[in-house]
This record gives sequence, C-alpha cells and structure tokens, in this order.
Amino acid sequence: MNPSIPIPAQWPDRYGDELFRFALSRVSDTDAAEELVQETFLSALDGLATFRAEASERTWLFVILRRKIIDHYRRQARTNQVSLDELSDGGAMDADFFNSENGHWTGAQAPASWLNADAALEQQELHEIIRRCQQRLPAQQEAVFVMRFVEELSAEEICQELGLTASNYWVIVHRAKLQLRRCLEKHGLGKN
Amino acid sequence: MLRLINCRNATVLLDQRPDRALPWGPRASLWLHLRYCPYCNRYAKQTVLMAEWARAAAASRASSGGALSEAAKERMRARLAPTGA
Repeated sequence: MNPSIPIPAQWPDRYGDELFRFALSRVSDTDAAEELVQETFLSALDGLATFRAEASERTWLFVILRRKIIDHYRRQARTNQVSLDELSDGGAMDADFFNSENGHWTGAQAPASWLNADAALEQQELHEIIRRCQQRLPAQQEAVFVMRFVEELSAEEICQELGLTASNYWVIVHRAKLQLRRCLEKHGLGKN
Repeated sequence: MLRLINCRNATVLLDQRPDRALPWGPRASLWLHLRYCPYCNRYAKQTVLMAEWARAAAASRASSGGALSEAAKERMRARLAPTGA
C-alpha cells in the first residue's frame, strides 16, 4: 500500500458514512450529526499540513470528529447551564428521590431489582431505551454523562472543558444517574 | 471515624467512586451502609450498569445502519474541492 496523500474531495465518499454513524451515535439528531461531519472535514482541510503520511487518514479524521463532539457537548452544556446556586441547593431535586427528614430512599423511588433486565428486554430495545432516557436529561447533565461514560473523558478533563468545580461535577453526575435510573425503570426495567 | 450515613450520601459516594479513591472514613461508612441497605446495594450495581449500557448503546449505533445523505455529501464535496482547479 502506498502511503496516501489525502484528497479532501474524496473524504465524503470514503469516510462520510462511517463518521456520520459515529456522530449520530453521540448526538440526538441527523442535522447535528451531519454538521459535525462537515466541521470535521473542514477542520481537517485547514489542518492538512499537520497530517503525517504514516498515520491513518481515517484515524486522523476520527480524532478530529471526537474533538468536535466534545465541543458540541460543551456548547450544549454552556447554553443550558444550571446556576451554581441551583447546583449547591440540591434540596428540591433530591426530595424527589430521598426523604427530606432522614435522607433515605422514598418508597416509590427505592431501586427495584434489575436482575432480569438483560433477559426481559432485547438488547436493541435496551439500547433504544437508554438512548431515549439519556436525551431526556437536562442538557448539562446529558453533556456530562456522555462525556464521562460514552466518550470516557476523566472527571478532570470534563471539569476543565465545562468550567466546573469538582463538587459541581459530582452533583451533576449524581443527578444524571438518579434521573436516568428512574427513567429506565419507567420504561420497563425492574418490573417484576 | 466510622459514621452512619443515609442513602442520599451513600449514592453520592457510589457515584464518586469511578472518579476518585474515597478516603478511608467515607469508604468505611459506605461499606457499612451497603451491609444493611438492599436499595443502595441495587443502586451500586445499577449505576455501573447504566454506564456500560450507555457505552454499548453508542457503540452499537455507531456500527449499524444510517448513511450520510447524498445531498450532504455533495455539499461537502463542493466545499472540499480545490478552488481554482
């Protein structure tokens, strides 16, 4: 195989579909995914001089796309930011889940067993439910959740990207997990 | 010092576990809480499962179906084509 010289006009046909599917697995709609792929190609075009022939063109484009996805979530989190006051005053939100007197689970919110979760639902169905529940999270929570658990950035990296303190980050992660768990149970997990 | 904690605090600690090593005190309090609280025991497993499923769901979607529309490809090709060629 000869080390290829990138031909940008061929990128949409050679890598467009794969990059698009990857983008669509991270963001909620087709338009946003298309936009991310286009931004990826344009950034690659601008940075063509930095491309090293021994690297894979495909890998290089995926690195750029992942960066674009993180930027997308950063914008989403910042435009729908929850105020620091709301974050530190967790009372109202936590009262949905925990008894305000003793801090234990309220009856209806106590986690049910998910012992049969994998067996009860087709894998495809489970994936669809988790995706829908993820999209129902408030924007900032969805951004943090995806960056941490899908993109697998570290807590420090996320705090840096989103301008959060560690304690705000943990409040957001905790709330995202509580809400996601509740949504999953509403959609059939844990029904015995 | 070993301190009794409630479910709210226990779940906060459970969600911090992937990101930081808990200091001895909170770790011991969490261990004790999990010895007697079936609900937080469930939460401990579910919080890990949710992360695994979210990753698996994204991976499965990335490898199945869907293609960039021809119109989008055409638009992109036009923007990427060398100018003045």
